Amino acid sequence: MIESADFLSYLTDNGYTFSTGVPCSYFRDLLIDLEKDDRFTYLPATREDEAMGIATGYFLGAGKTFLIMQNSGLANIGDALTSLTQLYKIPLLMFVSYRGLEPDRDFPEHIIMGDVTKSVLDAYQIPYWVIEEHNWKNVLDNALEIMEELSKPVCILVKKGVLSD
Amino acid sequence: MKGAEVISKLSTILNGEELIVSSNGNVSRQVYHLLQGDHIYLRGSMGLPVPIGLGLALAQPNRTVLVITGDGNFLMGLSAMTTVAHVQPENLKIIVLDNEIYATTGGQNTVSSTIDYITMIQGMGINNSRSFDMSDSDHLISEILKDTTREQGLNVLHLKVEEDTIILDNIPHHPIDIKENFVNRLL
Ligand SMILES: Cc1ncc(C[n+]2csc(CCOP(=O)(O)OP(=O)(O)O)c2C)c(N)n1
Ligand SMILES: [Mg+2]
Repeated sequence: MIESADFLSYLTDNGYTFSTGVPCSYFRDLLIDLEKDDRFTYLPATREDEAMGIATGYFLGAGKTFLIMQNSGLANIGDALTSLTQLYKIPLLMFVSYRGLEPDRDFPEHIIMGDVTKSVLDAYQIPYWVIEEHNWKNVLDNALEIMEELSKPVCILVKKGVLSD
Repeated sequence: MKGAEVISKLSTILNGEELIVSSNGNVSRQVYHLLQGDHIYLRGSMGLPVPIGLGLALAQPNRTVLVITGDGNFLMGLSAMTTVAHVQPENLKIIVLDNEIYATTGGQNTVSSTIDYITMIQGMGINNSRSFDMSDSDHLISEILKDTTREQGLNVLHLKVEEDTIILDNIPHHPIDIKENFVNRLL
């Protein structure tokens, strides 16, 4: 598991102090630390598309936001990805849980989205990476570079056990 | 009074420093054509003008952020109002131009006519809200708009308006230019 402290320090080092989203249990430990960390403001949104709207406004006001959501939330942000953030070229760092894989065999509600998560991101033309404990910094460095270069949202998929027990 | 007339009136009241977010369809066209300055004219993302205004208000706490939204947009993103109420951003003002229809797509009804906006907004935790029926009288529109845009603190203005009869031209800028113009304005 990635230590939240290392993960959050990486984000402040890269200029992030603001975050919004809708929780997933895969981010439980990270969110506990994020919410009590004075370096960050985490705003709980009611929906993922709302979170993406908040992040867009924050970016246009000269701020940076990282988003936290479950992959089920990908199904709520289609229009925000196509007619807002990609249309207006808004760079955003999205952390999305990758539910519906093997560890979720007792959670049928996640299975279909788990099956189609990568296809959905491909269809929406959103670059994505899966992070693991051993490679996360390199992957994030690369993702941030591509986010800046393309000026659009990029997605980091987070499997079970990577950012929470 | 029509929505476009309210927006026109705003041009005599704003000081030019306000940052405006306008909802997609007719409202963005009206804000583009009738008000000065470079603003965030949404061309899609129906339902998101309020959260975008919230994020902008948080990033620019020393500027007044004004969201101008149609009722259809406001209702689609209604739950974002509960987040706004929770945050209580001092510098955010929201004007709902309520024509009770989706005018942009041909005038189909919204469910607006059966809503008590003030009770709803107060119930969310926003104390400072006003509602006026501008459809049969002009009240004191200048005073109302001055109160909303100049007063300290979060506030919401709900205006019943008549359907617009003139449809303005499309916004002649691609969203990439809308964004660049706005971002440059803040540099
Ligand atoms: C997600 C989504 N659904 C539907 C539409 C089509 N659409 C564009 S503008 C609009 C009406 C907006 O209504 P309102 O905010 O009340 O503004 P008005 O047109 O009345 O000025 C609709 C339904 C859209 N752009 N996006
Ligand atoms: Mg309407």
